Formats: sequence, C-alpha cells, structure tokens
Amino acid sequence: MRRGSIVQLILFAIIASAAGLTLALVPGWLPEPASKEAGRIDFVFWFVTAICIFIFAIVAAVLAYSVLRFRRKPDDDTDGPPIHGHTGLEILWTAIPTILVTAIGIVSAVVLAKDDDVGKDPLRVNVIAQQFVWTFSYPQFGNKKSAVLRLPNHRSVLLTMTSKDVIHSFWVPEFRQKQDLVPGIHPTLHITPTRIGSYPVICTELCGLGHALMRSRSIVMTPSAFRRWASQKGPGGA
Amino acid sequence: MTSIAAEHHEVHAAHEGPPRPPHGWRRLVWPGFLRAAWMTPLFFGIGCAIVVSTRWWGGWHPIWKGEIIVLVGALTAAPIGFLAGIGAFDYWVRYAIGAPTIPEDHSGHGAYSWKDYFRVNTDHKVIGIQYLTTTIFFFLAGGLLALLVRAELAKPGMQFFDNQTYNGLFSVHASLMIFLFVIPAFAGLANFVVPLMLGAPDMAFPRLNALSYWLLPIAGIMMLSSFLAPGGAFAAGWTGYATLSVHQPMGTIFFNMGVQWAGASSIMTALNFLVTIITMRAPGMTFWRMPLLVWANFTTSLLVVIATPFIAGSQFMVLFDKVMHTGFFEPNLGGYTLGYQHIFWFYSHPAVYIMMLPGFGIASEVISVFARKPIFGYRLMALSLMAILVLGFSVWAHHMFVSGMAPWLRVPMMITTLLIAVPTGIKVFSWLATIWEGKISFATPMLWAVGFVSMFVIGGLSGIYLGAVPIDIHVSDTYFVVAHIHYVLFGGSLFTIFAGIYYWFPKMTGRMYDERLGKLHFWLTFIGFNATFFPMHLIGVQGMPRRVSDYDPMFAGWNMFISIASFFLGASVIVFLYNMVVSMRRGPIAEANPWRALTIEWQVSSPPPIFNFDEVPQVVGNPYEYGVPGARHAVLNGDREAVPEKVPVS
Repeated sequence: MRRGSIVQLILFAIIASAAGLTLALVPGWLPEPASKEAGRIDFVFWFVTAICIFIFAIVAAVLAYSVLRFRRKPDDDTDGPPIHGHTGLEILWTAIPTILVTAIGIVSAVVLAKDDDVGKDPLRVNVIAQQFVWTFSYPQFGNKKSAVLRLPNHRSVLLTMTSKDVIHSFWVPEFRQKQDLVPGIHPTLHITPTRIGSYPVICTELCGLGHALMRSRSIVMTPSAFRRWASQKGPGGA
Repeated sequence: MTSIAAEHHEVHAAHEGPPRPPHGWRRLVWPGFLRAAWMTPLFFGIGCAIVVSTRWWGGWHPIWKGEIIVLVGALTAAPIGFLAGIGAFDYWVRYAIGAPTIPEDHSGHGAYSWKDYFRVNTDHKVIGIQYLTTTIFFFLAGGLLALLVRAELAKPGMQFFDNQTYNGLFSVHASLMIFLFVIPAFAGLANFVVPLMLGAPDMAFPRLNALSYWLLPIAGIMMLSSFLAPGGAFAAGWTGYATLSVHQPMGTIFFNMGVQWAGASSIMTALNFLVTIITMRAPGMTFWRMPLLVWANFTTSLLVVIATPFIAGSQFMVLFDKVMHTGFFEPNLGGYTLGYQHIFWFYSHPAVYIMMLPGFGIASEVISVFARKPIFGYRLMALSLMAILVLGFSVWAHHMFVSGMAPWLRVPMMITTLLIAVPTGIKVFSWLATIWEGKISFATPMLWAVGFVSMFVIGGLSGIYLGAVPIDIHVSDTYFVVAHIHYVLFGGSLFTIFAGIYYWFPKMTGRMYDERLGKLHFWLTFIGFNATFFPMHLIGVQGMPRRVSDYDPMFAGWNMFISIASFFLGASVIVFLYNMVVSMRRGPIAEANPWRALTIEWQVSSPPPIFNFDEVPQVVGNPYEYGVPGARHAVLNGDREAVPEKVPVS
C-alpha cells in the first residue's frame, strides 16, 4: 500500500471515531445514577462503548475507503486481483475479537459478582406485583406495607420478588437494576441507593392490558427519615 | 445462451403444461380452489362434529364450546380440508389407498400462465415465486400493522386504539414478520436458486416442497384473522410468555396453531434442502465447491430441523394449558413458569440465525460478483457458518438474564453469547477484504449488500451490549432491544432479502428491473430505516420500556420523530412494489448472465428452462474464481465455453 492510502485510511478512522464519540457523549444516554450498582454497570457500559467505537472506526474506515477508491471504471470489464485469503489476517481478526470479548466477559462477570454481593444484614423488602399494581412490604418492620418503595440512603437492600398472577418485571432506570417477578418462584435483586430523590418504578414485562400504566415510585430518604417512616404504625401511603 | 433456451423450449413444447380442468360437474372434484371451496367447510363440519359428539358422549357442558370448536374445526380440520381440496395430498392418497397413481409426467412442472401459480405445482422455480409473492404480501400486512403501532405511539397518551388492540397490533406485526416473511422469504429465494446452483433438476422431494408452500398462507391467514376472534388478536407478544398467554382471550390459540402450520412448513422445507444438498449435487460439486449461499442454507436447514420442534412443543404446551388445563406452566397446578422461556428460546434464539444465515449467503454471492473478486477466506466463511450453528444452541438463556432463572447460568451463557461475535466478525471482515482492491459496481443488489454489512455491524455491536449481563440488566425489555432486533432483522435480514430479490430478479422473471428506481428504493429505505430505529437505542437506555401503548412525556419528542420517519420508511416500499410490478411486465429482456457471475444458475437462460438443464452440468472448479484467467466453476452442455461473456454491468 502506498503511504497516501494509509494516511487516508487513518483519516477515515479518525472521522468515524469522532462521529462515534460525539454520538456517545452528546445525547446523555444513561439516566443520572442513584445506586452503587449503577456506577459499576455504567463502567461496563462505557467500557463496551469504547471497544465498539474502536471496531466501528476500523470497519467504517475500510468500508468508506473501499467504496470511494475501488469503484469500477465505466469501460473496465476486467476482474479484481484473485486474492483468495490471507492466513495471517484471518488469524488476526479471529484473535483480536476473541481477546476483546473475553475482556468484556471478565469485566461483566466481576461487576455482576460485586453487584450481587448483598453483604451482612441488608434491609429486606418484599416486592409484590399483580395486574397492575406494585406493593412493597418490610418484614423487618412488622410487614409494613407501602404502595411506593421507600429506601434509606447508603443501605444495602435485598428485594424478594413475588408475583400473584403473570410475569412482571421490576425496573428503576436510575438504579440500573431489573428483575422479573415470576409466579411460583421468588428471585431476588440487590440495590444500594446512593442519592436521595424520587425515581420511577416501571414494569418492563408485558403483563396485559394495563402494562403501560403499571408504575410506582421509589423514594430514597435519609436513614433517619426512613427509620421514622418505617416505625410508624399502619400502611404507609405515598 | 439464449439459443440454448430457445432450443430447450422446442424440446418441451410437446406438452402444453398441466392438463386443463374438465368442464361440468367434474370440475368440482378436480384439484383446485373449487374443490377446496367445498372441502374446507366439509372438514370444518367434521371437526365440529367430533367435538360436539365427544362432549355430548362424555357429558361435558356446554356441549357447544366456542373455543374448542374454533381450535379443532377452524384451526385444525379446515386447513387439512383446504390442502386436500387444492390437491396437495392427491398423489399420496391415491398411493395409500392402492388406486393407480397419476403417472409422473412432470405436468406439474413449470408455469404456463399466471393461473399456474394458484395451483399445487411441483416445480421448485414456481414454488420459489409462490413463496416470494406470498411472503411479500405478509410483509406488507406486517408493515401496515407496524405503522398503526407507530401512529399510536406518535404522542403520549392513548390516541387510536385500546390497550388490548394495541398489544395485538405489535404481537401480530412481529409474528407475521418472523414466521411469514423473513424465514419463508429466505426459503423462497433458496427454493428458486439452490437446485440451480447445485446443478440439480429440482428439489429432492417436489411434492413435499409444494405442500410446504401451501402450509404458509394457512398460517398467515390464521394469524391475521385472530383480529376477528372474540377478545381480539393474540396480545402476549410474539414471545407469548406463559402465564400471560394462557390467560388471554381466544386469539392466543390462533397464534399457537399458526406457529404449528408455519413451523411444519419450515421443517419440511429444511429437510428437503438437506436431502437436496447432500444427494443432488452435480458431479464435481464437492462441499468445498458449493457456493456460500448453499452452505448458508445447509446450516440454516440444520438449525430449523433441530430447533423448530421446540417452538412447536412450547406452543402446544401453552395451548394445552389453556384448553385442557394441563398446567405445564401454572405454578398453582405444579407447573414451572420459566420452563416456557427455556423451551421457547431454545428455538427462538437459533431462529435468529435461521433469519440471518441465508442473508449471509446472499451477501457473499452479491459482494463477490459485484466486487469482481473471489470471496476472501472461502473455507473460513463456511466454517464460521458452522461455528454459529453450534454456538447458536448454547446461548438461549441470554434472553433470560433478568428472568429469575438459576443465577449461575448467566455467566456461561454470556461467554458463549459474546463468543458468537468471533465467527460473525470473521464474516464481516472477510466481506470487507473481498471488496478491498475490487472493481466494485454499485448496482442495486450491491447497494443492499454493502448497506447490509454496515447496518449489521451496528446491530452486532449493540448485541455486545445486550450480551454483557450487567448492561443487559439495565436495557433488557426496553427500546434498546427493539432497536437491536430491527438492526439485525431489518438492516440484516430484510436488506439481504432485497439484495437477493434484485440480484435474481432477471433470472426469475427474464426481465431487468429499473436500476434507477432500485437505487432510489435503497436510499429511501436506508435513510428511513436509520431515522426510525437509531433513536430507539437512545430512548431505551434513557428508560423507555418496550411493548407499551403509553409512555413518559419526556420521550414525546423522539417518539414523534420516530413515527414520522417510520411513515417515510413505509412509503419507500411503494417504490419497490412499483418497480417489481412494472419491470416484471415491461422491463427490458434480461440476458442469461447480466452480472457475469460464475455460479451455475447464471449459466442457463433467464428464466431457466423447465427442467433447469438439458444435461447434467459438470463442476470443475470453485464458484468465485473472479480474476483467475480461464477459471471455470462448471461446464454445461458438453464442452460449451463456461467463461461468462463480457457484458457491461448496470
């Protein structure tokens, strides 16, 4: 290859990376994180994004260069050079993706293990879903019931899922954590809130007519405010 | 080459196509739509009679139960009556009862008028075109349903539909696109092309081939007509998760049974391809000389044969839970709800490859021909198809990372999922290396093929996000997933289907399509597609769940944009239809080999002679030897010069 071609290719790759970076950084993809797990999941998200921009830049550069440079001249009926393969290249583009996806796999597995580590003495909350309402109960506080999920800040929380009818799914985008609620089994989900505020609880598994409206809120409070609320008698409303 | 074709037509001019139906009352027993018109209700009646008499005899009340009548009478017996009526079983029934079979005079071969496309025809070329036109019809139906979905979503709040109807719209949209468009459209293209590419006169089992086609309209009409069922169309998504699907109105059983008919069609076709590819290759056509499209259909057929029985089983289990209370998935009857998802995805993940591998094959054909270069790394291309086939069976639970399945399954399934990026990457890089230093001409098929590579890369990269468990926990069941599957199935499968249709249009119809309209179609679709589906990545990550008729007003702007773009995208299909219909009738006559390709289907006339070849071709080399002086893939008709003529492209 001539030096000019290499310069052009690199130029295309830089343009493609710049486009990818702009697309990744400008629109504000992830909602403001509000849990410890969210921070780790966001790290995986940006790690994967970096690798994707790298791959995208290579593919886009080669594609753009080929499309522009290797066009057939109108009166040229000859064929291209009969290149059947190149063992070195083929090993290279088998090995590099293998290494990259292995790296993604390891990072993901470590993050998953950390996110699932509940620690000692978590706050336990039972999440009960039925078409089309959420109910939350606190077994450590006399099974106090609530229509909104109130959580103390900076406390490890273990949610235990129960569905009374069909499959639902519990999701708080700001916590990044999601778990289906399946009739007959009781999966768990671990969250450690880190930011005081009010966040939507969304049902993300199609559960029938009212699926789109099956929503509640999760309110993260200071530990003292949570203790005051939790020790009040009677069901806590909104 | 045209002289060969003319000669051939003279040889076969002796018989004037299939025997014409008799006049008078005997026409009523002649295989065709007239006989189907009375046999379908007859079988429906027999089905009803079985239900009613059994219930009466067993003392079950009510004796007349709508759901069971519909299931047995309308969805099971009536289709069999229809198939018997049009004559799909005639030969086998005669054979089975010992009556003299009508000798195989090949009268079922070839189409002599448009009416022959509405008969049971055993010619693989006729069946291929029957497949394609039928699937394009359901593609239009599915597309219109998608536009209705987008109309509802243009603004937050409810505009046009109630929730049950809305859920029905996207469920039927997905089912039609998957079961009645992408899978059978590839089967249709392959039906036309694979026997020609192999140098075979037809598929191995022509009558089975005809039957597989006629099962399709049944499945499609069943899914569409679920809108007429009491309670509306099936509304649990195309995934039909138990227990929601078990507790839905009657429409669900239309889906359960529709999948059976489409699945049976798929399995029969796949068996047919396997036997054809294994046993009917022309002399000299070793496996390592097969075009990659044939390789792709070989691996796809293996996937279909192994996996499709699982979705058939899963839908039968839901059906039995619903009508017989078998309780497979009902925890209060001792069932296991997640069991459905494991069985369903054990088919439906491989189904993603069933919907993509044939597209890989088409892309390989088109890219090599229009870059005028051999496909780069041919053997590795074929082996990576096999790698995807094997790995594809070990990743199904990546659809279930948040489902509550055994937590230990997540990491192994993530590793296998991510590893699929390796053979897929090999294919993408090999296509890039194929066009490198090529002499590329951007005729319409090549535009679609290169468009496919670029869009499929985006779909593949977003797949890495979904494969990594922590990210998947956040984005699963959001619009990010909707964006991903459309980049794979629209930017992937549909783009390659269009590439294939344009590429083989001259071979199928004997006429050229309009190049300018083809390019216009591509660019309109390319722009509309990206404007519609790319923003879905963003709103999904930001927090918009999928399968909702109403959403947070913060997403209103993007949804309005997406809806407008989707209508633009929908309009682009009109250009395609106009081009196809007009070119089929008035396009310039196509040469035998307008693309100067080496594969065998281009060495016969356009359209090919009724029995494909006057004498069996002899395969002498690899299929993609562009640029190798004097190279040939196959020798036809004695020692005829098989090196393609120099004909200008596009």
